[in-house]
Amino acid sequence: MARIGVFICHCGENISATVDVAKVAAAAAKIPGVVHSVDYKYMCSDPGQQMVSSAIKEKNLTGVVVAACSPRMHEPTFRRACAEAGLNPFLCEMANIREHCSWVHEKGEATTNKAIDIVRTLVAKVKKNKALLPIKVPVTKTALVLGGGIAGIQASLDIANSGHKVILVEKEPSIGGHMSQLSETFPTLDCSQCILTPRMVEVAQNPNITLYSYAELESLEGFIGNFKARIRKKARSLDEKLCTGCGLCCQKCPTKKIASDFDAGLGMRPAIYVPFPQAVPNKPVIDREHCTYYLKGKCRLCEKVCPTQAIRFDQADEIVEVEVGAVVMATGFDIKHGDFFPEYGYGNYRDVIDGLQFERMASASGPTLGEMRRPSDGKVPEIVVFIACAGSRDPAKGIEYCSKICCMYTAKHAMLYRHKVHHGKPYVFYMDIRAGGKMYEEFVRRAIEEDGVQYIRGRVSRIYERGGKLIVKGADTLLGARPMEIEADMVVLATAGVANPGAEALAQKVHISYDSHHFYSEAHPKLRPVETNTAGIFLAGACQAPKDIPESVAQASGAAAKVAALFSQDELIREPLIAVVDRQAPPLYSTCVGCFLCQTSCPYQAIEKEEIRGRDGQLIKTVAKVNPGLCQGCGTCVALCRSKSIDIQGFSHEQVYAEVLALLNRGESDV
Amino acid sequence: METLRNKARELLASKTVQMVIGYGRGSGEAAPARAVFIRAAAEAESLIFDASCQQNLAVYLMKPEVRQLGKAALVATPSALRTILQLAAENQVKDHDLLALAVDAQGEVTPLATLQTIEAHVAALDCNLSAGEKTELQKYVALDPEQRRQFWQEEFARCLKCYACRGACPLCYCSRCTVECNQPQWIPVPAHDLGNLEWNVMRAMHLAGRCVNCGDCSRACPVGIPLYLLNQRLLSEVLANFNFRSGMAAKADNAMSTFKPDDPEDFIR
Amino acid sequence: MSDFEPKIVAFVCNWCTYAGADLTGTNRMKYSPRVTIIRFPCTGRIDFMLLLKAFANGADGIIVSGCHPNDYHYSSGNFHARRRWIVFRGLLDFLGIDVRRVQFSWVSAAEGAKWAQLVDATAEQIRQLGPFSGYHKLRGAGVE
Repeated sequence: MARIGVFICHCGENISATVDVAKVAAAAAKIPGVVHSVDYKYMCSDPGQQMVSSAIKEKNLTGVVVAACSPRMHEPTFRRACAEAGLNPFLCEMANIREHCSWVHEKGEATTNKAIDIVRTLVAKVKKNKALLPIKVPVTKTALVLGGGIAGIQASLDIANSGHKVILVEKEPSIGGHMSQLSETFPTLDCSQCILTPRMVEVAQNPNITLYSYAELESLEGFIGNFKARIRKKARSLDEKLCTGCGLCCQKCPTKKIASDFDAGLGMRPAIYVPFPQAVPNKPVIDREHCTYYLKGKCRLCEKVCPTQAIRFDQADEIVEVEVGAVVMATGFDIKHGDFFPEYGYGNYRDVIDGLQFERMASASGPTLGEMRRPSDGKVPEIVVFIACAGSRDPAKGIEYCSKICCMYTAKHAMLYRHKVHHGKPYVFYMDIRAGGKMYEEFVRRAIEEDGVQYIRGRVSRIYERGGKLIVKGADTLLGARPMEIEADMVVLATAGVANPGAEALAQKVHISYDSHHFYSEAHPKLRPVETNTAGIFLAGACQAPKDIPESVAQASGAAAKVAALFSQDELIREPLIAVVDRQAPPLYSTCVGCFLCQTSCPYQAIEKEEIRGRDGQLIKTVAKVNPGLCQGCGTCVALCRSKSIDIQGFSHEQVYAEVLALLNRGESDV
Repeated sequence: METLRNKARELLASKTVQMVIGYGRGSGEAAPARAVFIRAAAEAESLIFDASCQQNLAVYLMKPEVRQLGKAALVATPSALRTILQLAAENQVKDHDLLALAVDAQGEVTPLATLQTIEAHVAALDCNLSAGEKTELQKYVALDPEQRRQFWQEEFARCLKCYACRGACPLCYCSRCTVECNQPQWIPVPAHDLGNLEWNVMRAMHLAGRCVNCGDCSRACPVGIPLYLLNQRLLSEVLANFNFRSGMAAKADNAMSTFKPDDPEDFIR
Repeated sequence: MSDFEPKIVAFVCNWCTYAGADLTGTNRMKYSPRVTIIRFPCTGRIDFMLLLKAFANGADGIIVSGCHPNDYHYSSGNFHARRRWIVFRGLLDFLGIDVRRVQFSWVSAAEGAKWAQLVDATAEQIRQLGPFSGYHKLRGAGVE
């Protein structure tokens, strides 16, 4: 027989001003099963909580209803108080008579009656509550970091330095990401590679980090603390253990005219190559699409010159299986290329380039060794136009958002150009200058005031070629939309930052949500910015949205801290408010018939097939089973199951059914 | 008819199947056809196929008593074929579990050994409601709500809660029906107005996106409640809103366990 | 009829509408006391049978409310719920049960004002429709 205690809170006067709390307590006392009903000024205070715990002990309560504020406010408080008094915390429910009653209705009988209704409903529920034990899940203390750009590097180092193992997977032959392509960084103008490469080396040398470069995630299964990842190590066509990185093969390779991705297409590389001299690992790969041997079956020059006989033409992709407890998504971003800007002639005019190409041009290690030489004829450009918001903030182009980094890097580009071509004239077309950030506004002012960059507020409508010049037609909106025309030698587009082409497929592979632009979604935009909605998977860097380096690094450290916190425990404790598929005595075993419609409805892939076998190993039936590590307790499967074979703890069929009946049947007896 | 019998004899003699589930003559003069379970080639002559053979024999695929007799060949009307696909989509039937003998009004027999061939066969059929069905349904849709309420109240008032509709339905294969749950008691046991309504609403909802409109529930109903109207209404609803037809593919996602981000929501505030 | 005060049950999800209704309270916005909330983890959890139970036990109207499809705690339960309601509504309508007595809505945790408006509008709607005695009568004698 249920022995329920009801505790009505006045909340100072927050409740008692409109609700007759004494009447509620008296009414509650008459509900069958209620053996204790009191009201008190502040239930959540120490003496209030004391009242609850002494009543549990003295009256031997089997359930507690605290009628007070929202459970979102104090449910943890009272559940803890119950637990301390020896009552299972899940036998405590809160009746929300403040936010949902006293605060929203006028003083009167109707309000008091509603409070009584709410209490009666929760009493009916708590009578059907069951003692629940928290779920414990073991934790594999190895993190998987996807993406070896600055965010992935930072996250890996931070996790490794907190004493945990890291598996870092990078799809390119080297880690470093976009940051390794940059010339100098705003707002300090320090050399990007100079600050990045020591970190890359640190990754290679850290004993806690296993680096798989030229590798991609094949699949990810499992749940927080217990993921299983399959990683495809693409064939480099050489034995990494034997290769010393001497580079002789790259020098001798006869196929040299392949556009280098690293140089954003401005430079060339051979068919066997290391993307850039400071690459980590410093081991070449053979680009099988361009290698003469793979195309024509002849050559093998690299094999001949290799002093350690490391070349392996017949190497196949290798699948590595690893167990990890957490995943950090640090897969970065891309910029818009190609025919996205027909009006700017991008792709037609070789001297219309994008921001990354400018970075390579300005980089001392780039194809022009840092000299400003335009791609078409190698001349030094005398007039350069920079166009900010190329694609960004342009609903007509399908990109409504601000790419965030372009204002700053455009100012940097114009400045770098002026530093290299002292007599050159840089113009910047912009919509607004967004320079929020430490020393950012000052940086832009410096470009304008000290380096003489001419900023024009307006959009460029068209670019076309005339007599070897690029004619940039725009308008200056600050001068009454005066049309203007600049004869430029080179144009740099600050093209929109976008998600990687494979971002959506990867998100589906790891089961995280993403927005309409395929950037990954955080669990909460304010308060859980580094977590995804899938427990155990975290976000770092520009895969979430365009971000600059300090932001990416900060988020990476945040993600690493989340991983370290997760790994600080041997077992995870989770609230047991999850779905359960029933199990029955043989010969039924379960009322589940195995239609598995629940499986397609589950947002978390938490429903598995379980084969029930007899002693002889004979398959008796296949039924659904909920993986408690994956289930988040939404209950979609519960309402879908036709045979009511799935129930959800904490919101069970019996509980909610009892609530509905109790709410509507005023003054009737136990239901 | 003889083609069918020969095919049955051949399948049984070669032990390709252990049993042929088909139609046989009912007892009495004008009795409708009834299901027969032929387990020896010699018995095959009792098989018939004519206009009276309407029952969806796929219902027997889900009965454990039938299942334990081994692999069956099933004389399958278009509804039965769609039922087989729907059962496959619900993980109840696997490829090669059975052999379908598709029959049509002309008495043509097409053996279909795999789910894929059944899919191809079904794809060529017209699975829309017939013109007559549409007209009848429209008649009720056009009534004003109060008339519809009265109509159904009168219809359901005759319901005996005998669950013959459930027994005849090949998709009501749960080992425990919600109606048998008593903690809580979702559906009141007695056959009164409320229990009858709740039972029929529940059954219609549970068949939404699954029912293939074979009509056996209505044929089985001893008091003649036009249950097919409910099912047809919901399958029209599912088709119109989600562009989904049940029983067309063996690996289809169910309409009610999936969604599209742009499902209509004009009724949601 | 003028003094008829409807009984309305609101089935709401914990993360959006329940929190939205909390916000209504925190902002001290007033609304009709005829609506009482029952909390669910997610709209996906709400069984259509519970709606029938509510009507059978004396509810004159029902509100079902959860997270907007795109800011959602459980990534897709509300999408599933939406499908279910489309079909359920079609069925109720076909049975001649007045679908105006069930109001579906998306109310986010930030929409305290929307919750108050929703409750008042629904209460007014149900007040005009009057008691749902046609359905309540089905319960008859001897039924739980």
